[in-house]
Amino acid sequence: MTATRDSVALVTGASGGIGRATAERLAGAGYRLAINYLTNRAAGESVATALGGRAYCADVSDPAAVEELVARVETELGPIAIAVSNAGVYQRVALEDVTDEHWRRTLRINLGGAFHLTRAVAPGMRRRRQGSIVFVASELALVGSDRASPYVAAKAALIGLGRSLARELAPEIRVNVVAPGPVDTPLLPDSERGPAYTAAIPLRRIGRPEEIASAIVHMAEAPWTTGAVYSPNGGVVIQ
Amino acid sequence: MNSARVALVTGSAGGLGRALVAGLGAANWEIAAATHRGGAFAADLADPEQARSLIARVIERYGRLDLLVANHAAMTMAPVDRYPLDDWWRVVDTNLSGSFYLARAAVSHLRTTRGAIVFVSSEWGITGWPEASAYAASKAGLVGLTRALARELAPAIRVNAIAPGIIDTPQLQVDAGAAGISLGEMKSRYADAIPLRRIATPREIAATVAFLASDDAAFYTGQVLHPNGGTTTAS
Repeated sequence: MTATRDSVALVTGASGGIGRATAERLAGAGYRLAINYLTNRAAGESVATALGGRAYCADVSDPAAVEELVARVETELGPIAIAVSNAGVYQRVALEDVTDEHWRRTLRINLGGAFHLTRAVAPGMRRRRQGSIVFVASELALVGSDRASPYVAAKAALIGLGRSLARELAPEIRVNVVAPGPVDTPLLPDSERGPAYTAAIPLRRIGRPEEIASAIVHMAEAPWTTGAVYSPNGGVVIQ
Repeated sequence: MNSARVALVTGSAGGLGRALVAGLGAANWEIAAATHRGGAFAADLADPEQARSLIARVIERYGRLDLLVANHAAMTMAPVDRYPLDDWWRVVDTNLSGSFYLARAAVSHLRTTRGAIVFVSSEWGITGWPEASAYAASKAGLVGLTRALARELAPAIRVNAIAPGIIDTPQLQVDAGAAGISLGEMKSRYADAIPLRRIATPREIAATVAFLASDDAAFYTGQVLHPNGGTTTAS
């Protein structure tokens, strides 16, 4: 069973970048939007207002906060049909310079965020026999990257988590993973925007957030797709 | 100062760990065998301080480190929405974070010896497995860590991983108990789903690690080998 388009979609990290573009596309398709943000309240509220949805401040690395987020969304907007785990952090740091706290925080947000969201939405989705979850990983999980080991490890772990949960939560709930290549968002460093970098990309440019959003929404709505990993990446990864 | 090449093997008391110690020993590696239970190289690797201390103790004892085999693992199975939070993070922090902490602490020593790292991932990290969300996530994370560190630490240090399928170890008795069947039934249940129609011996999985550690694999880095009897054909 797929979601009907007047139901509720929750997107974490939706105050900007891929999360915001995904929220916009879901709203355009008729979903009522719950916009999660952590620090950028003005942007979160502004996205929610523009889309006729609601903004919710919550730290996805905190399981109790995510439980509360899901409970509030379902009380105020209705049952969640689509949950997109998008909130993430990215920082280039050499292995020897990664602090214990940097490692822990990257794992708790980028991996824990998806785990916490899934455990909070799964019981309701299973009860309603309807639900779709999409994790936003990264193309770097497929090919690696230097000086980003915590990020790459967490994003690769998300792929294993998504495949496990696709098996475990079937047939009621579908779980899929999008692994975007370099996209024009605030997370992308300047070093990955210039012509020297884009010359090595087969499609000769970085991606637009809307191009990732379309992949996310497609997966979220594809009724026979679960446990899949789609990687819109301009041809950076061809394997 | 010891002149033999020195390997640190974690999780060395388990079924695969014992075979790793035997196999690498037969290949003339001097082995520091670490466990979480005791001995000179005891460590709870979910704790970054203990990982640092373990590497320091190996260097103190042998004066060098040429190979890190991160084989230790914790495992709990539970449905994702009823998975105790502490258990979930204990599994991830032991298997994935612990391997990261070891690599970080070992890297300066491995640069000196132009050494290698082998992470022991799992078939379940590639395919996913129901009620094994933490374990599968941690083992998939090791694949990403392998690819990231292979790029970052080249050309001085080679970083590879194995993702073995079901191995004939004491863990199978645990699985059989959980499923309420005999050990023999458990083995044949697993074997029936494997193209080669049998589960692996610890010895042949250890041989894959010994190969990746050897000079025969000098052109391998960032790779994941899949000794699994054919259960995955692409990854």
